[in-house]
Amino acid sequence: MKDFAVFWGCTIQARFPFLEVSTRLVFERFGLPYRDIDGFTCCPEKSLVNNIDHGLWELTAARNIAMVEEMGLNLVSPCTGCVSNLATVNKELCHDEAKKGAVNSMLKEVGLEVGGHAALHHLVPFFHDEVGINAVRSRVVIPMKGMRVAIHYGCHMIRPSHSLNNDDPLEPVKFDRLVEALGCESVKHRTKMMCCGQGLDRVDQHENALHMARIKLRELSSLDIDAMVLCCPSCYLQFDNNQFLMEKDGEKFGIPILYFTELLGLAVGYGAEELGLMNHRVGVAPFLEKWERIGGEGSEVGGLESELEDIGVFGL
Amino acid sequence: MYLDYNLLEKCYKCGACYDLCPSCLNLPGYDPRKVIGDILADNYEHWLNSESIWQCLECHHCLEICYQHYGFENAMTALRTLASKRGLTPQQVKRGWDMFVRTGKLGEPQSSARKRLGLPQAAESGKDSFLKLFKIYQDSKGVKT
Repeated sequence: MKDFAVFWGCTIQARFPFLEVSTRLVFERFGLPYRDIDGFTCCPEKSLVNNIDHGLWELTAARNIAMVEEMGLNLVSPCTGCVSNLATVNKELCHDEAKKGAVNSMLKEVGLEVGGHAALHHLVPFFHDEVGINAVRSRVVIPMKGMRVAIHYGCHMIRPSHSLNNDDPLEPVKFDRLVEALGCESVKHRTKMMCCGQGLDRVDQHENALHMARIKLRELSSLDIDAMVLCCPSCYLQFDNNQFLMEKDGEKFGIPILYFTELLGLAVGYGAEELGLMNHRVGVAPFLEKWERIGGEGSEVGGLESELEDIGVFGL
Repeated sequence: MYLDYNLLEKCYKCGACYDLCPSCLNLPGYDPRKVIGDILADNYEHWLNSESIWQCLECHHCLEICYQHYGFENAMTALRTLASKRGLTPQQVKRGWDMFVRTGKLGEPQSSARKRLGLPQAAESGKDSFLKLFKIYQDSKGVKT
C-alpha cells in the first residue's frame, strides 16, 4: 500500500480532537502507512468558500492536493466534507486543461504544481477497498453480534459520484459491509440516506437544523437502535451536539453517536477510554453496557472461515 | 461559473428530485422550481435576501437523481454567490469567510486538548503559503487590497 497523508481538516482538529485519537489508533492497529504533513490549510469548505468565491475555492483545494502529489503520497481523510471538496476540484481540473494551467501558473509562485493523479480517499471506502473486509474481520477481538446500529453515510462520503466514484451515490453498501464485518446488524430505516441538515446551522438557521436532526433521531428512537454510526465531523456535530441540546430542553432520544473509527477501535480491542469516548456529549454507556452484556455471544467465526484463516488465505 | 438556461428550463419543468431533496421534503416553503422560474423570467432579485437560497444543503441528491446530471443546486449556488457580493451573506458564513481569508483555516488545533488526549503536536498550518497565494489570486483578478 502506498503511503498516505492524513487530511484531518479544520473541524476534527479544532472541535473534536478525540476523533483524531481513535483514527490514529485504528491506523496503528492495521499497520497502515499514514503520515502527518505540514502545510495543509482548510480543504476549503464548500458552503462557505465556494458560495463566495469559486476561484479561490479551487485554488486552495488545488494547493492541498499539489502538496500531497509532490511528496508522492495518496490522501485519506476521516472528514467527508474535506474529501468531497478536494475530489471535486481534482476532477474539475482533470477535465479542464485550461483551468488547470491557470491554477498551476499561480501555484508555481509557491513552488507547487497540481497534476490530478493522487488518490483521494474517504476513510470508510478506503477501509473497504484498500484495507479490505477480510482484514477488518480478521482483526476483530470481540465481535459485535447482537448490536443494532443505524448507519448514517453522510452525503459527501459518496457524492458527487462523478468526482468520488467510490460507491453507489444513492444506494451505497460499503459502510454497511464494514459494520457488518464487525458483527453489527445494520438496521434498515426510512431516513438512512437523509442529509443530516447541519449545513443549516452554518447559515444562521439553528431551528431548522434541529428540525432536521429531530426527524432522524425520532425514527431511530422508535427502532430499538443501540447507536448511530457515522464518519463525518459535521454529521457528528449535528447528531451528538444538537441531540444533547434538544435533550437538555426536555426532548428524549438517547441515541449514542459513534464515529466509525470508534466502533472499529472497540471491535479490534481498544478500550472506550483509550478511544476518547467519554468526550461525547450524548453518553455512549448504554451501547457499551449492552455490548459487554452480550459480548461476542454466539458470534464464533464460522468453521470454514477460521480454517481458511489458519492457512493464511486472507493475507495481512 | 455560468448557468445553462436550456438545462434550467428542463429543470423547471421536471422536479424529479423533490422526492429526494431533504429540504424540499422537510422545510415548508422551500421550492427550488419557483426560484428557477424567477431566474428564467429574469425576476430573481427578491430571492437574494431570502432564507430559501441558503436552505439548499448541497447534498447533491438532486444532481445524482437528475437525468441531466445537473440539479438545481447550481441555481442556488449562483444566487448565493450574487447575494454574497451584495453583502447579504448570513452572519456565520461571513464569519467563516473572514477567518478563512485571514488564516487559511476555519479553526485551529487546540494544543492543551491535544496534550490531555496524548496527541502529538499538530502539523504546521500552510497559512503563510496560502496568504501568498491568495494575494497572487487577488492581483490576478485586479482586486485592490
